[in-house]
Amino acid sequence: MDNLARAYLPRIAGLALASVSFLAVTAAEAKEITIWCWDPNFNVAIMKEAGARYTKTHPDVTFNVVDFAKSDVEQKLQTGLASGTADALPDIVLIEDYGAQKYLQSFPGAFAPLSGTVDYSGFAPYKVEVMTIDGQVYGMPFDSGVTGLYYRKDYLEQAGFKPEDMQNLTWDRFIEIGQQVEEKTGKKMMGLDPNDAGLVRIIMQSAGQWYFDKDGKTNVTGNPALKAALDTVGKIMSANIYKPAAGWSDWVGTFTSGDVAAVVTGVWITGTVKAQPDQAGKWGVAPIPKLSIDGATHASNLGGSSWYVLESSAEKAEAIDFLNEIYGKDIDFYQTILLERGAVGSLLAARGGAAYEQADPFFGGEKVWQNFSDWLAKVPSVNYGIFTNEADTAVTAQLPALTQGTPVDDVLKAIDAEVSAQIQ
Amino acid sequence: MTNGIGRAAGALLTYGFLGLMAFLSVFPFLWMALGATNSSIDIIKGRVLPGAALATNVSTFFTQVNAPLVFWNSAKIAILATVLTLAVSSLAGYGFEIFRSRQRERLYRAMLLTLMIPFAALMIPLFIMMGKAGLINTHIAVVLPTIGSAFVVFYFRQCTKAFPSELRDAAKVDGLKEWQIFLFIYVPVMRSTYAAAFIIVFMTAWNNYLWPLIVLQSNETKTITLVISSLASAYYPDYGVVMVGTVLATLPTLAVFFFMQRQFVQGMLGSVK
Repeated sequence: MDNLARAYLPRIAGLALASVSFLAVTAAEAKEITIWCWDPNFNVAIMKEAGARYTKTHPDVTFNVVDFAKSDVEQKLQTGLASGTADALPDIVLIEDYGAQKYLQSFPGAFAPLSGTVDYSGFAPYKVEVMTIDGQVYGMPFDSGVTGLYYRKDYLEQAGFKPEDMQNLTWDRFIEIGQQVEEKTGKKMMGLDPNDAGLVRIIMQSAGQWYFDKDGKTNVTGNPALKAALDTVGKIMSANIYKPAAGWSDWVGTFTSGDVAAVVTGVWITGTVKAQPDQAGKWGVAPIPKLSIDGATHASNLGGSSWYVLESSAEKAEAIDFLNEIYGKDIDFYQTILLERGAVGSLLAARGGAAYEQADPFFGGEKVWQNFSDWLAKVPSVNYGIFTNEADTAVTAQLPALTQGTPVDDVLKAIDAEVSAQIQ
Repeated sequence: MTNGIGRAAGALLTYGFLGLMAFLSVFPFLWMALGATNSSIDIIKGRVLPGAALATNVSTFFTQVNAPLVFWNSAKIAILATVLTLAVSSLAGYGFEIFRSRQRERLYRAMLLTLMIPFAALMIPLFIMMGKAGLINTHIAVVLPTIGSAFVVFYFRQCTKAFPSELRDAAKVDGLKEWQIFLFIYVPVMRSTYAAAFIIVFMTAWNNYLWPLIVLQSNETKTITLVISSLASAYYPDYGVVMVGTVLATLPTLAVFFFMQRQFVQGMLGSVK
């Protein structure tokens, strides 16, 4: 007992001292903004950079960027909001776009509206749509998942296709090219994970539709874009121009190992593509293929996230000003995060900066960032709704049926039934 | 002759089966250890041979993670939780078994019922309690809810059944008070029970994930399990580094287990001979 007291008394005293000094610091009006996000090499590093820039001009504001796993951030945010324990929440939190509406609608008043402060006309419209409720805009658009068609110039050349032939494709043409590539080179056209509905989402959004309509109602059976997307994935499967992948890492392996001729995904994959120095100069980037239905475009999005300020935050004013000053205006900041982290932000003006202007020798001197930036402005806006993850699970569950040749309308009905059952 | 062949075949089958099971349980550990020596790309490709990236992985781990602080946090929580849980729960288990009454039996059953409530259901009320007490983001908040462990009370009560009442009677005749009997007779006799409980509680506390995750808020208070989780969930996790972290996080529980293995096995078999 004596030992215990001896061991702990100094610590308790230390704690008391620490809290006193903490109070003293607060009294001196130093503000610390606490931020939760999830990838030490990506958004954590980027937020530290943003914080450092802001502290330069506002020395009284410091930043505490805390990283948890993405699902952990969500879990903690949920618990903190549900328990109403305000001091358990950060000042700024990163939320994935697919889940944003869920938090905004489930916890009204929990997040600070930024419309009025931030000039949203400067951002990609679809990113702003994600965070809008009843005309109020919450959050600061962050990284974009604008999509592109990455293709191996060398394989396609062997099959008789030039880079010009890869522009403005339709999905049917893409599949034809895939068949010829396999015939001539023995390589599959793309990697595909049958348990990942990412490609379905990309194709669907490219035609301006989602699992939910603008009012948040389920939009599955009467959704031409979803039908066409499933149809396309079904054709890719029956044409057998894909290399099956089991999980994310395996899927990444399909193109890093040089086994496939193309990748259709979000711009954030660029860093991984470029991480293979032996493939330098062999890649090109084109807009993704387009559906042949009304409203179809060559632009879409996969993933992405945005920053939100908590209404309960004691440093709310500083947090909003910080986001607006750096993410809303600092073009140079966007050049830095593009160069250092491969992050494509959502501020359209960023494309005027030096980093975006650069031609990339890895892609044979193409100005890939300019292209992505063009496509970014064209991504159709959709309402991700509250239940995107649930709908996605339903689609994934039905993908095997698609492979076995079940008619698309039946698959749509099954998805609709499952979504309805899940969201009641 | 046929009998011999039959026996040999039987043995082959037995050892084949046991070997397979041993392989299945050891393989993940083996892969973890080998993974720590490989680069992330090799791990994804499924390489299960020793690689050359150990030094890089280790140095990346130690630059990305404030390892001394994180391990100190984990150790502090685990040791504090273990010592307090053993003290409180063994007293309770002893009390429930030695001083029986109808009311206490009811209380005991009610306590056992709490084993059936999943932690996820307790999480938010517990979080509000800690919030009101101003303990969010402290290690005390991590330790407190684990101290009164229904399972450990149950375990101690079961083991106390084997504690001979003659010993208690003899001690009483010699004039020992109740607390002296507990401290000087019961605790030494139940040594191996304590050892077994120590391993169980220590491992649970060390590996605890959900509650620390909810209640700890800053980089300064995080435990190793939280750090590994955040390393592993990056968009492009460096699996080699994750494996280094996992290996290091496994070492303390391994050490505790091997150190106390003999007592553990005895404790499981029943402590009083």
